Amino acid sequence: MTPSALVLNGLVVGGMLFAIGLVGILARRNLIVMFLSAELMLQGVSVSLVSWSRHHGDWGGHVLVIFVLTVAACEAAVALVFVLQAFARTGRLDAAAWQSLRESNLPRSIDRELPASDAEALTFPHLTPAGIEPEADEDALLEREHV
Amino acid sequence: MPDFDLATLLVLVPALPLAGAILTVLLGRVLGSRAHWPAVLSIAAGAVAAVTLLVGLGRETGIGTGHADGHAKPVEMVTTLWQWANIPDAYVPAAGSSLDVGDDLAARSAGFPQALPFSIGIDLRLDPLTAVMLAVITCVGLLVAIYSIGYMHDDPGYPRFFALVAAFVFSMSMLVAASNFLLVYVFWEAVGACSYLLIGFWFHKPSAAAAAKKAFLVNRVGDFGLAVAVFLLWMTYGTLNFHDTLLADGSPLPGILGQARLGDAAGYVGGAVGTAICLLLLLAACGKSAQLPLHVWLPDAMEGPTPASALIHAATMVTAGVYLIARCAPLYMACPTALTIVSIVGATTALVAALIGTVQNDLKRVLAYSTISQLGFMFASLGTGTLLGFTAAIFHLVTHAFFKALLFLGAGSVMHAMGGVIDMRRFGGLRRVMPITAATFLVGSLALAGVAPFAGFFSKDEVLAALHGRGWPDAHAEHQDAAPHETHAHRPLPREAAGSPAFRPVSFREPVAGAEADAIAAPTFRVLYWMSLVTAALTAFYTFRAVFMTFTGPTRVPDEAGHHAHESPPVMTWPLVILAVPAAVSGWWLFSTHALADFLAATPSLAAPAVAATAVPHVFHWDLALQGTLAAAIGIVVAAIGYLGRRSDGPQLERFLGPIRPILANRFFCDEIYTALVVRPLEFVAMLAALFDRHVIDGLVGFVAGVPLAAGAVIRRLQSGLLQRYAVASAIGTLVVVLALAWRLRP
Repeated sequence: MTPSALVLNGLVVGGMLFAIGLVGILARRNLIVMFLSAELMLQGVSVSLVSWSRHHGDWGGHVLVIFVLTVAACEAAVALVFVLQAFARTGRLDAAAWQSLRESNLPRSIDRELPASDAEALTFPHLTPAGIEPEADEDALLEREHV
Repeated sequence: MPDFDLATLLVLVPALPLAGAILTVLLGRVLGSRAHWPAVLSIAAGAVAAVTLLVGLGRETGIGTGHADGHAKPVEMVTTLWQWANIPDAYVPAAGSSLDVGDDLAARSAGFPQALPFSIGIDLRLDPLTAVMLAVITCVGLLVAIYSIGYMHDDPGYPRFFALVAAFVFSMSMLVAASNFLLVYVFWEAVGACSYLLIGFWFHKPSAAAAAKKAFLVNRVGDFGLAVAVFLLWMTYGTLNFHDTLLADGSPLPGILGQARLGDAAGYVGGAVGTAICLLLLLAACGKSAQLPLHVWLPDAMEGPTPASALIHAATMVTAGVYLIARCAPLYMACPTALTIVSIVGATTALVAALIGTVQNDLKRVLAYSTISQLGFMFASLGTGTLLGFTAAIFHLVTHAFFKALLFLGAGSVMHAMGGVIDMRRFGGLRRVMPITAATFLVGSLALAGVAPFAGFFSKDEVLAALHGRGWPDAHAEHQDAAPHETHAHRPLPREAAGSPAFRPVSFREPVAGAEADAIAAPTFRVLYWMSLVTAALTAFYTFRAVFMTFTGPTRVPDEAGHHAHESPPVMTWPLVILAVPAAVSGWWLFSTHALADFLAATPSLAAPAVAATAVPHVFHWDLALQGTLAAAIGIVVAAIGYLGRRSDGPQLERFLGPIRPILANRFFCDEIYTALVVRPLEFVAMLAALFDRHVIDGLVGFVAGVPLAAGAVIRRLQSGLLQRYAVASAIGTLVVVLALAWRLRP
């Protein structure tokens, strides 16, 4: 394997990781998943850094990546605290639960077309309903819970 | 007596009340019900200083020492406390300016070839006129302050009242002691401000607040006249100082009323400019002294506390206009037209105010119209332009200050006992309830009505004599023939003392009020004389109408007085008693010794050749005294027929007035006319301005504010609150940056 092929492989892997992370961030609304996606992007960059570093025989890139890992560990802790707090506030991990932070006179973004649910395909034990069914929160129903 | 003593005293007269005012302001809350002490003590000390000044100056002029010929040498003394403003080369001679003022003015002011500095100091002057005014102001002020201890007790604004009274005494003393027109203007405004604050003393009462505002606004018209007059004086004379000053190079600069100019035959500008100055000064005097057409504020000013009315709106501040014209006598002597107008304004005001006074039912308003009327007398006297006229005006000012302050304080005593009721129809027969007030009020009324031995008789007689002298110059020429050694028109000013500030030897020009001018003006003054005589009768009538309605008839007390309608406390009755003494005897004393007239004749302004040349021998005019007494007697008799011993709420004499009555009762519709001519148009303009402001100006501001709002509204839509949109934006932004970099770095 030629050195240029080696760096190319590294870059491809890094690029794929980055792209997967980017798509994850843009497409998913679960805060933890988004956070993981961001980590993926970070590691994609780290991989490409390591590849270039090895290609040039320069240890700077390696050192930098170790550094990035350290920082990322701390950052992960901080970010998880945020996520936890966000969950404590809303009871949900949905990023769309925070859209009340929008400008006051803008309309609410609503998922009008829910993806087909395969909930019916699942079989759950039938329990006899007891008590009064609680009033459903219309807004909460419109925002999917298990994203 | 060394000048230093007099100078120190002169400074102390205004300085002590100022200190009293400041102390009261600072310690008012601490002192509480003892807050009158600083004001009373400081005004008392000021009064002592002022009387000492008067005596000292009298000795200086030789009045007190039995100086035989009765012609005191002119004295003035100027103390400059500090230099206020000094702008070199402020006055550019009119000849050198591009202003087309006219060669006339340029030629007259061309006495100064070089540019003159605008030099204003805090100059206090002492001369007989000032000394007399200071003594009157501080003495009446002291009695009013003492009286207020009783009258204002338990008022929540007790310290404020005394602070204002002390501040007023300070301002008024400075006004009469100031030796340049700028200071006069400053303290002219200051007394106006004190007056405003005292009229609106009970400011939560809407009528008091409105009256204060009205007084202030009407006075502004007069103050405007004074401001323009000061500008014109500056343009014409190149200085604003009364006294002579020295320029930087040591050469003398004649002041407007300085000895150099007074002795100069052509020292004063006549013609259009001079007349304009005089008429503007008259406008100022009309505003302050409540003369037609600016008299409307004074009756409303009765909304203030009665002691303030007595001090400011009867005895002192309203006489500032008389003082100003007397002070500027030489200016007026150069403009006979302006002088005649002064007389016409005065006599007309006297008559009109007296007519209105006859139908007023509010005791204080009767006195207010009487004040306007008496001030009109003084103006009429000033306008005669003779030495007799000027001294008679000040004589009447002094006696009027005493008896009118007495009457006002008496009215306040009545009001105090009646629980704030001042409508004469609601009480009567009070002589049994409050004997001291009744007796002193009667003395004041006799003085005001001009009954023989009381003060008003003599001063009114002097005024009538001055008017008569101009109306029938021939008759007085006979008087003069009787004493030929005193009457030649060109009597040089006495210059006996070697070290005294002597006048330049000059050839006097013919006095303006010479025989020729008299012949032209005589018919006018005859009319004015008869008007004054009618006014005198009306004065006696309305004064005794008030006396009879208030103090005679069955004793009635309004409900507001409660069950304790009683004589006022001693702290209020003693000032009444003390004031009753000069109200009774000051006229006889000052007239018989001729002390006041001789003393005033030593005022530089009145010792000017043009004024002094009009001096007539001091005689008692039996014919005029008879006429005046007859007029007063008619008035008193008519009042007695209509009101003596009757119920004051019964039918009144006014029912015989027929169609005139509504005119008088509505005060000749002056307020209504001013409302229609001035207030409504101004309100209309104000409304237009408000509309313009609200729609055009505010619209522009709103538009400017709307632009960023609208721009923001566009961008604001980007803040959707959706994390994914932000992420997309971020990703696209990064992409753009990367692509741009790639484009830049392309091989």
